[in-house]
Amino acid sequence: MKQSALLDHPFGARYAAALPAADAARQDARETLALEGLPGPKREEWRFTPLRGLAKIPFIPAASADDIDVCDLPADVPRFTDAHRIVLVNGVYRADLSDTASETGLTVTEAKTPDHGVDAPLAVLNAAYMSGGVTISVRGVVAKPVHLVSIGAAGAEPAAFHPRLAIAVAPAAKLTILETHHGLPGQPYFSNPVTTISVGTAGVLRRYVLVREDSEAFHLATTVADVAADAKFDAFHLGLGGALVRQEISVDFVGEGAAVRLNGAYALMGRAHHDFTTFMNHDMPNCTSSQVFKGVVDGESRGVYQGRVLVARHAQKTDGQQLHKALFLSRGPQIDCKPELEIYADDVKCAHGATTGELDPDHLFYLAARGIDPQAARLLLVQGFLADALENVDDAVVRDILSGEISGWLMRKASA
Amino acid sequence: MALLEIKNLHVSVGGKKILNGISLALNAGEVHAIMGPNGTGKSTLSNVIAGRDGYDVTEGQVLLDGQDILAMEADERARAGVFLAFQYPVEIPGVTTSAFLKTAINAKRRAEGKPEIDAMEFLKLVKAKQKLLSMPDDMIKRALNVGFSGGEKKRAEVLQMTLLEPRVAILDETDSGLDIDALKIVSEGVNTLRGPDRTFLIITHYQRLLNYIVPDHVHVLVGGRVVASGGKELAEQLEAEGYARYLSAA
Repeated sequence: MKQSALLDHPFGARYAAALPAADAARQDARETLALEGLPGPKREEWRFTPLRGLAKIPFIPAASADDIDVCDLPADVPRFTDAHRIVLVNGVYRADLSDTASETGLTVTEAKTPDHGVDAPLAVLNAAYMSGGVTISVRGVVAKPVHLVSIGAAGAEPAAFHPRLAIAVAPAAKLTILETHHGLPGQPYFSNPVTTISVGTAGVLRRYVLVREDSEAFHLATTVADVAADAKFDAFHLGLGGALVRQEISVDFVGEGAAVRLNGAYALMGRAHHDFTTFMNHDMPNCTSSQVFKGVVDGESRGVYQGRVLVARHAQKTDGQQLHKALFLSRGPQIDCKPELEIYADDVKCAHGATTGELDPDHLFYLAARGIDPQAARLLLVQGFLADALENVDDAVVRDILSGEISGWLMRKASA
Repeated sequence: MALLEIKNLHVSVGGKKILNGISLALNAGEVHAIMGPNGTGKSTLSNVIAGRDGYDVTEGQVLLDGQDILAMEADERARAGVFLAFQYPVEIPGVTTSAFLKTAINAKRRAEGKPEIDAMEFLKLVKAKQKLLSMPDDMIKRALNVGFSGGEKKRAEVLQMTLLEPRVAILDETDSGLDIDALKIVSEGVNTLRGPDRTFLIITHYQRLLNYIVPDHVHVLVGGRVVASGGKELAEQLEAEGYARYLSAA
């Protein structure tokens, strides 16, 4: 890589010095990080999401700060009743806040080392300073869903943490997991999770992710998933908060007949920045991937969707769909949408689409003609636009939780 | 004083004159029908009364209880009692019919200084009115008008009218796209709303609807003008003879 693509960043010797000596895996990653740095604006995948602002902040490792004290689950964290609860504070598993009654087939262990190599630049940073996390393994059908709660908090200085999450669904096993990411106000914190997922043959994973970080926080999440033959991976991601958020998800199809849905929605106000970057690596025949992302943007926010679908020569009968829809609530925001199809097979069904627009005047008039004032009408329509995306969430309890989160965002916007 | 009075109304759209001086007085308790061929300004008239943007009123007044409503926003007019049943109700994905109905009912109740409707009362009320219109209960759980058939959309319009109890109800081509059974059900729904405090303006191309909702007055609109007015027999005459003689006169 060219020098010009590098970015000075705070994760060098000063950062490392605050931590105990690194093991071999971390040391390797630190050397790679020293060579490659953080991605600058000249790296195509990071062109729309500049890290300059992040790189200027003198983060310290959250693990080295002794003035961070989180002893309760914040009140605004949604309560997922009848679910196993796993709580991470600054990426570190907290048994005292968690509630995982034993269930046959479900194993939760603390992650100690970054054992799966992931190439993405933020995953290298994660491996260099990996500071906790959990591994969730599932055999058979786990009846109770899992709610993983991540709380970020800084003390007197800005703090960063780099957890590893692993979700392993054995062949024919089933799991539903809701991950919700939150934080406490104060100095900025930087959450840099890496999640590795494997769904075994004919396994089913439903993964729902809510990112509602503090408005000053950074959240750059990298997810890599391997999906085996006849397996289903059904994911929905909701982005509702954080100064700079990127949810990067790449999926490798490693068996025939797998079906993947990656759906999501985001709502941005102020100067918030949210990026969905996806990569569907169709390397097996007869697989389907479907992506629908919807965004609502206001203020001077910026929404990014980059979706790449690669279909190998031998991946015949691939069905790959992607759609991005954006709704502008004012003239200030910016949307960058870049769907890419790269197809080497000749018998495939692939398409992408993108729309952007404002609220439909015909819809507004219809509501007005029923006595609904313009402000309430806009609220109803924006909520409807986002609620429509939730139709893709199969789990009814999760759908209610996410719907409540959308209402919460609309209320924050109304009072902003 | 007429409940709704339209006085010498002139309207242009994009510089083109559509209505050329319409005057009508609708008294409480009356049902008026406006008939006319396509493109004579029937829908323009209903949209202007309801307050849709994009119409240029160059002259005239629309008075509700003697107050000119042309300066009011569409939502204010609706809360004052004007209701437009749309010819083409819009589909709004993601907004459930029930959330929409509750918002509309509460907007009206707030304007009247009443407390918001409670959830149980709302469900009971909607259920009763849906039964009247032979609508399935679960319809209100669906997104507003999304995937509704033509008949279901029109029934949903009448359901809204029944719930909002307007003083002036304008039905814009409510009969279009309805089969005979749906037409009967919709008409019955309208007929149960007829009463001494309310007036109806029924806009239609065909006389068929007027067999079920029998009007007190019929007006023929051609070239943006009312060219004839009469009783219900005028509708029958139009059905038999067509609009030809009015068209040649205009």
